[in-house]
Amino acid sequence: MHQKSKRWGAAVALIAAGGLLAGCASSGSSGDVTYWSAFVSKDTERYYQEHYVDAFNEQSDDTKVKMEVKQLQNLGSLTDTAVSAGRGADVVYSAGPSSALGFASAKRIDALDDYAAEYGWADKLQPWAYQASQVDGTLYSVPVEYGSIVMYYNPGVFEEHGWTVPTTLAEFEKVATEAQAAGMMPVGAGNSGYQAQSEWYLSAFLNMAVGPEKLYQALTGEAKFTDPEFVDAISLFQQQIDKKWWGGGKDRWFTNTDTDLFTGLADGTVAMYITGTWSFGDAGRYFGEAAGNDAEWDWAPLPSLSDDVAPGVYPMAIGTSLSVNSASKQADAAAEYIDFVIDDPARSYDYLAATGQNPPPLSDIASMPDTVDERSARLYTEAPESGNLGYASWTFFPAATDTYLWSEFDKIITGDLTPQAYLEGLQKVFDGELAAGKVITPFEPVPGA
Amino acid sequence: MTSATARIGAGPAVRRPRRRRRLVAWLFIAPLAIVNLLVIGGPGLSSLLFSFTDWDGLGQANFVGIDNYVELFQSPNVLAAIWHNLLWTLFFLIVPISMALLGAFLLSRLRRGQVLFRTLYFIPYVLATIVSATVWRQILSPDAGIGAALANLGFDGLAGVNFLGDPSLALGSVAFVNNWQWWGFLLVLFLAAMQGVNPALYEAARLDGANAWREFWHITLPGIRPTLMFLVLMTVIWSFLVFDYVYILTQGGPAGSSDVLATVLYRTAFSEQRAGYASAMAMLLSSISAVVVAGYLILRKKLDWDV
Repeated sequence: MHQKSKRWGAAVALIAAGGLLAGCASSGSSGDVTYWSAFVSKDTERYYQEHYVDAFNEQSDDTKVKMEVKQLQNLGSLTDTAVSAGRGADVVYSAGPSSALGFASAKRIDALDDYAAEYGWADKLQPWAYQASQVDGTLYSVPVEYGSIVMYYNPGVFEEHGWTVPTTLAEFEKVATEAQAAGMMPVGAGNSGYQAQSEWYLSAFLNMAVGPEKLYQALTGEAKFTDPEFVDAISLFQQQIDKKWWGGGKDRWFTNTDTDLFTGLADGTVAMYITGTWSFGDAGRYFGEAAGNDAEWDWAPLPSLSDDVAPGVYPMAIGTSLSVNSASKQADAAAEYIDFVIDDPARSYDYLAATGQNPPPLSDIASMPDTVDERSARLYTEAPESGNLGYASWTFFPAATDTYLWSEFDKIITGDLTPQAYLEGLQKVFDGELAAGKVITPFEPVPGA
Repeated sequence: MTSATARIGAGPAVRRPRRRRRLVAWLFIAPLAIVNLLVIGGPGLSSLLFSFTDWDGLGQANFVGIDNYVELFQSPNVLAAIWHNLLWTLFFLIVPISMALLGAFLLSRLRRGQVLFRTLYFIPYVLATIVSATVWRQILSPDAGIGAALANLGFDGLAGVNFLGDPSLALGSVAFVNNWQWWGFLLVLFLAAMQGVNPALYEAARLDGANAWREFWHITLPGIRPTLMFLVLMTVIWSFLVFDYVYILTQGGPAGSSDVLATVLYRTAFSEQRAGYASAMAMLLSSISAVVVAGYLILRKKLDWDV
């Protein structure tokens, strides 16, 4: 009997010890935190490793981050496959809140509200980005890179032709008409090599011509993409493409690459180029000494192409969001690392200065150092301050709607689809995704901003 | 009676080695069969099941019956892609096979330099697809490609021709590039098969006064029929699976003009995140291959081909 109770005691102790160990493991108080990432260049990777991984590991006693570098092209699909199988890194990458929503719906990533409260993320992040990262009021991802779409131009070329940066439809049409008369491509556009590139221009056009308020209504189901404002906008875009203002029209759209268009901007054959601010980092290689010319680039906020839209709209885009894998045994440590990535504005802005990489949408924009390129610093201070924020399709449109947007737009360019039919198809796909809960709640626009 | 007794008496002794041989054969087959079952059978079965769901690749898969298949056959993009696959198949059944047959027949009559030409024609096949596709993209560029180069020399017939950016030319241009890589491989296979044809048949034909065409038609073609039929079969299957050149050169554009089933499937699965619907497309692709193979087997049986 005595012997038997001893055995029972040992068994209970073992179970208790096991439980304690399991508790330690799930609390993630120690051990390696894995993180998959990808970079545009080796230099950027080295900088990140030194300032975001090694620096974290040096200051942390318990937690060590182990970064695995993947290819930029397949980081998303690798993560999707691994996370859907209940595996993958502890810190989960996603290409913005729409991608994170898929993980959240599948319960593959953890709710972050407790961590958000612990680390004060609502205060650290700009309100629109924090709001966009929530699913039904619960935070599931933390945005760590953001940008916008702006109009790039060559100040020397504008000066030569006596143009001022357009802010209204009339001014935009004047510059486009004169540029075309001068033998230039008025607005750079094209999708050779990357079919989805069309959505950069489409996102810009919808924000310029329809405006954030109407887009917000459509994204929340209050309005339809088939409403006259959208039909008019796509019709106007189609007319401008037919006039060969954008990308030289259908004969050139499918041939132009991003490189061609920046080269054209530098050599004066392209007047304006409307694209993402992710090019701030490498636009320099087409201009000035590095490119063997004396050209310069600058940017301006997007013009308004409708009386109902205030000029200077910034379509907001979140390029990278981080979440905590629900299969992680190091959840607390993973959250600690995510906080490290956004915790220090100086570190984020130094990264921007050194590599041109988009910073997190931090609410602290005052501590932007002088080392940041003036054009980048202007963007990351003016955009949040302006309040005139719009919606980039790849961040706020659900996956199938977004794919329809750019893939079917080819048929608008070739004239195989009418704007009405195109938008009816868009609305149909969107309705399905809205009903299936695949649309993130967009931030509310500032009326008349 | 004696022989019958002997046969009866020898039965178990004969059966034992036969059984052993069968066992050994199964043992040889088993590793590959197990790997195929795991790598092809498992995912194949799960694809079949997912094709009846609305699975997005991450979350819960809800049963939707045959909705995906109904949508598949009502989708203009899918139907256009199937049509492009059929055109692609027709092109690859005619152009590279004809070129390779003719090339191999001519090379087979060469006494010197055969190895050199065989190597030259085979080189494109060993190049990485991404390399040859990227080079061809430059060659076909209206700004920096062959059209612009010829225009500089005064021949402006191809000037401004946008091979990959013109919806009416894109599919044909991609097929042309793929054929550039492909036909040399077929040539080498046909040449190897032709070298297996009995030379005495050619000598006899020549004695009977047959010309080169008659030799080709009556001796070469029947002599390489197993190889020819196998490559025709594989061409049909590969033509429906084509993806790499299309994706690298045009991604199915412009406006879907070079979309094939595999590019639509890829976009559906990874951009639209509709893994269930993409699974239905995969089932369609597999079914087409299965029909082709079944048709081939039936023909083989009916015509009593020894291939």
